[in-house]
Amino acid sequence: MFLAINEIKQSKLRYALVIGVMFLISYLVFFLSGLAYGLAQENRMAVDKWKATDIFLSEKANDSLNMSMIDSDIASQVKAKEKAVLAQTAGIIYDANNENKKNNVSFFGINSNEFLNPNVIEGRDFKNKGEVVADISFKNQYDYKLGDKIKLATNNEVLTIVGFTDNAKFNISPVLYTSLETFQQIRYGSNSNFQPKTTYNAIVTRGKISQQPKGLQKLSISKFIDKLPGYSAQVLTFGFMIGFLVVIAAVVIGIFIYVLTMQKIAIFGVMKAQGISSRFISNSVIAQTFILAFSGVLIGLLATLGSALILPEAVPFQTNLLFFGVITLLMIVVAIVGALFSVRAIVKIDPLKAIG
Amino acid sequence: MKAIELKNVKKSFKDGDETIEALKETNFSVDKGEFVAIIGPSGSGKSTLLTIAGGLQSPSSGEIWINGRALNEKKEKARAKVRFEEIGFILQASNLVPFLTVKKQLQLVDKVNKAKENRAGLDLLKRLGLEKLVDKYPEELSGGERQRVAIVRALYNDPTIILADEPTASLDTEKAYEEVKILAKEAKEKNKATIMVTHDLRLVDYCDKVYLMEDGRLSEKVD
Repeated sequence: MFLAINEIKQSKLRYALVIGVMFLISYLVFFLSGLAYGLAQENRMAVDKWKATDIFLSEKANDSLNMSMIDSDIASQVKAKEKAVLAQTAGIIYDANNENKKNNVSFFGINSNEFLNPNVIEGRDFKNKGEVVADISFKNQYDYKLGDKIKLATNNEVLTIVGFTDNAKFNISPVLYTSLETFQQIRYGSNSNFQPKTTYNAIVTRGKISQQPKGLQKLSISKFIDKLPGYSAQVLTFGFMIGFLVVIAAVVIGIFIYVLTMQKIAIFGVMKAQGISSRFISNSVIAQTFILAFSGVLIGLLATLGSALILPEAVPFQTNLLFFGVITLLMIVVAIVGALFSVRAIVKIDPLKAIG
Repeated sequence: MKAIELKNVKKSFKDGDETIEALKETNFSVDKGEFVAIIGPSGSGKSTLLTIAGGLQSPSSGEIWINGRALNEKKEKARAKVRFEEIGFILQASNLVPFLTVKKQLQLVDKVNKAKENRAGLDLLKRLGLEKLVDKYPEELSGGERQRVAIVRALYNDPTIILADEPTASLDTEKAYEEVKILAKEAKEKNKATIMVTHDLRLVDYCDKVYLMEDGRLSEKVD
């Protein structure tokens, strides 16, 4: 530590540059993981909000919520500690006062007395026909207020926003919660003569399942999330990018430390001649790597948290302190692994050459 | 009392098919408080003798005893320990670490030693008029000042032996005399055994004994 700190103090610019490189790489890693996490959350947030254990889809739906269709009499045969029915469809809505303002949304038709009914953070629950509770992004990002009217692009049905809830995004779209009755109206239109009987897309359960009818496929919620369209591919892609970046960071700092070590071979040789052990010198190089990696990563982390404050609402960036903690640790550990090449070089230095 | 003793020490290198005897069979010892010089042309083997005596390389055969400890059979790690505890090196260019200030050169020894600062060592800095330079880096010192700091550094750990390899090579005559005078005085006062390798014959006035090295053969020079 003594050598490490004193050397950094003497060659401030050189080490500031190394820390700078480490900072840039870690900033990129943190930022990317924030984006990856944010995007993943926008896919699954509304599902996590259920705090459910399992979901039933129709057997032929191939794990797709969209394709699943369950009759109400079959739904009633599912017996579990807690259960709730869910009708879901994607839709396009626009502002009733401004036809140019369009949004992709996801409708959740639910029973308000079952556990899928979300917490309302502003306004009230849906009660009457045509009322919906919307994700808070409708207010924060799209400038809707309580009482605003929205129109369905498909059949011109008009709905009223009566409440807002938080963390309600599914498939990167904000969720509009409504009653099953209104959901029928959304799906088929109220003026149509064709009014089929109510069907559900899924049965969501909490706790132990005591009865499972034929024709239904049971998925755990984590499996269900993995099967969300594009979700696994996205998470894998980002995961690999972040993983490679961490490895690259290790290689880069490893190379820097190695070059710096090579420049000091003569000095280390004299030290070894004086009887200072390889271990003492190696420890100081490791300590130096730790200081450089730690400072760079810490500045990268602070810059990321700072950037998160000024990002526009539309950017799907979310900080997850656990992820960031793991990445911080990982970056520092792999940087030190990279420095081990230099330790090998130090051990090999022949003190005789320093004298001769 | 013998501080360092070389018994029947030989060193040979293989150079292709040939074997080169860099150091022929040598018996050599230096007592505590004794200051000896080894002179000789370059390539005569005087540096080989110094590095063997300092435990930087092993002899092909023979024994080395430093302060009653046998050195030749030890592994590098153990030899490093003996070097650190028993030997102070003063080298041609400098044995100073370029990124440490004068004060910190000495603190480094304390750190390796896991010891508190050595008052006597710091007093020596003062006596040699170096106390104003304690916060300077080696590159900010003159050649003479650098070698004086090197002398303090070599003595700081209170070793048994001082090994000086051409310590005045980078100094002019006047400075060279001055530094050797200081080295001789301090080494004598502290009862160190000092071996100085040099090719500068004018410096031997300060030495108790002078050895001549020629073609790997060491002989005492009697004036």
